[in-house]
Amino acid sequence: MTMMLTSPSAFTMLETTPEALAPRAQALARQPGWRYGHLTARALDTQHVAVDMLLLDTRQGGGTILSAPLPKGVCEYPALTPYLPAAHWAERAVGDFFGLHAAGHPRWKSLLLHDPMWPADLFPLAGAEQATCRREPYRFLEVQGEGIHEIPVGPIHAGIIEPGHFRFSCVGEIVTNLEIRLGYQHRGIEKRLTEVPWQQARFVAESASSDTAAGNALAHAVAVEQLLGITVPERAAALRTIALEIERLGNHLGDLGALSGDIGYSAGAALFPPLRGATLALAQLLTGNRRQRWFIRPGGVARDLDATRLRALRQGVIELARRAEEHTPLVLENPGVIERMDGTGRLTPALARDFGIVGPAGRASGSGYDARLHFTHGLFPALAPPPAHRETGDVLARAQIKADEIAASLAIITQLLEMLPETPVCAPLPPSLPASAIGIGIVEAWRGELLHWLITDEAGNIARYAIKDPSFNNWTGLAIAVRGNLVTDFPLCNKSFNLSYSGNDL
Amino acid sequence: MQNPLLAILKTGIQTQRQLFSELPPEATGLPSVTDASCSGCGQCARACPTQAITLGRDAQSSVVQLDRGRCLGCRACIECCPTRTLVEDRSTRTAVRTREECIISNRPAPSAPISTVSPIFRRSLHIREVSTGDNAADLEVIASTNAMFDVARFGVHFVASPRFADALLVTGPVGRGMREALRRCYDAMAEPRLVIAAGTSAISGGIHRGGYAEANGIIDLPVAAYVPGDPPHPWSIIHGILLAMGRTA
Repeated sequence: MTMMLTSPSAFTMLETTPEALAPRAQALARQPGWRYGHLTARALDTQHVAVDMLLLDTRQGGGTILSAPLPKGVCEYPALTPYLPAAHWAERAVGDFFGLHAAGHPRWKSLLLHDPMWPADLFPLAGAEQATCRREPYRFLEVQGEGIHEIPVGPIHAGIIEPGHFRFSCVGEIVTNLEIRLGYQHRGIEKRLTEVPWQQARFVAESASSDTAAGNALAHAVAVEQLLGITVPERAAALRTIALEIERLGNHLGDLGALSGDIGYSAGAALFPPLRGATLALAQLLTGNRRQRWFIRPGGVARDLDATRLRALRQGVIELARRAEEHTPLVLENPGVIERMDGTGRLTPALARDFGIVGPAGRASGSGYDARLHFTHGLFPALAPPPAHRETGDVLARAQIKADEIAASLAIITQLLEMLPETPVCAPLPPSLPASAIGIGIVEAWRGELLHWLITDEAGNIARYAIKDPSFNNWTGLAIAVRGNLVTDFPLCNKSFNLSYSGNDL
Repeated sequence: MQNPLLAILKTGIQTQRQLFSELPPEATGLPSVTDASCSGCGQCARACPTQAITLGRDAQSSVVQLDRGRCLGCRACIECCPTRTLVEDRSTRTAVRTREECIISNRPAPSAPISTVSPIFRRSLHIREVSTGDNAADLEVIASTNAMFDVARFGVHFVASPRFADALLVTGPVGRGMREALRRCYDAMAEPRLVIAAGTSAISGGIHRGGYAEANGIIDLPVAAYVPGDPPHPWSIIHGILLAMGRTA
């Protein structure tokens, strides 16, 4: 029934029982250096399913998967959420995709596949003859009390932004609860990744959240290369690192402009878009595409950087660094800006830790976690900068973290452009993937830790492919951060997190 | 600290004066089909991740058909074409008015139907954008409104409500979750109204096509302009908008 899985990397799989899963996961997560990774499930055959809990060992750059196969005919297991709150959306996603019920989950409901858009008995990743628990109609949490009113917003929003539904429960203008209901853009990415030839899976993987093309493509490539046991040539690793940092740089610069726009600070909103545009020009020099599409692929990168473009990149980075250094204080040292951002949308370190908040939002709330320090991707961890750090967890802290990371990314890119190794940029790939193996790629994308997790079957085909976008856990951080704030400050809080809807919806 | 006004003045005018400038040499464009004789080897069709290429034969030689409405611009076909029948297109004027015109081949295209675009939106167009699952395309739509591309110079503005809008601009493959919301948004718009499909995923679903989420692009709305690309370049998006307005060919 169970499949024995091997991994050439630092990830191991341990089998356990559904009853022991939650306490064992909690005990592991509490070990020093360990943290919550991702929870999902996997069809073992047409009738059997296992719940898989990945915990990360940041000190070893690896982790452990606790796998709990359910007995045949059972569609319920004891929820992990009461032990590990970070799993609360992941368990609901398992409910949507596999028809499994996490018994004891405090807010049990669908996460992505809602009625009436999706049939209550459609479980796209479940085995054909597997027992499933029916999906119940969605019910919003109703906050009760005198003077409470609800404001429903979305799925379509007023700006050029992705769709999602926000249900605010307010007293006057103060938000007491925000419930975020996403899933509108569900495209069936994880299933599709098991249907296409593995050599073309990169196109699907990269489209999980296409604004993070370099991040997704790199996480996919790392997972596949780990499975194949191949090392990419040094020059490819360096070019990948530059691509990842350009993506971070461009999006963080864009965020500083957009945050300025959201508080009505027109100077910031005018100054930063050209800087962002300059990073897109750098991206185009490196990859041929403004959004770095189809550049990073298993084995290396799609094209080399010739001497002409290298020279242009060096000049562009010097010029961009000068302008970024000049413009950043105009926003972050402006008293009006500070006044508006200071104390707004606060997420405390304790809650950020409990809910597994990653990336700049986590580091603004006291977390020291940056996947670049721990997991192999590009030239990391060797080249990892010291993580940016703030404790206050407000909009200002998140903006400051982004400014710090802009400077750090520019330094990394500058350094790499001076010392590009002279090697090929792509390693040959074997014709097939090894059978019954696990590959896990973990990348610090611009929004934070991005995880691609793939498992092959006995024939070497991809049997399960799970993606955890950094936004998946961070949406809860946003919902917590807006509590007690003015409802009109929601756009500012939202922009300070700047999360991916499609990466969450998959 | 510098005066912000001085910094803005020092930045200077950022707006690109040249409209629809060609892609620079370092950029990769969408594939285009030349009339170079095709050997019919079929490597391109096998390499294409979205089955955008079909091969046939006529009396003279092999006929290669490329559906840009399905093309990701990944260059896989260009890289493996031994006869240089498939080459890169450096133009940013890549939008077309009909789905049929998205399909190009190494045979002369049948004469396109004479398009009858109403002149009503020639001078100004207000657009409601709806995103359905391709956030890179959203970023390029936003870029078309920035100071560099400045779509507002054509009288084009993005508005907050379908009630104010003349056109609906859709990005993403419109899976089951968004179909109803998109339909309601369209229904909320006053007539006359236009629909613009921005990006390969909005046209056909692109890489997502054929899955259980039925993310096959816009299927039940009349589309006035198709902009291929994953994501399309901001100039191509502006080209699509101007095509729908009847301001350019």
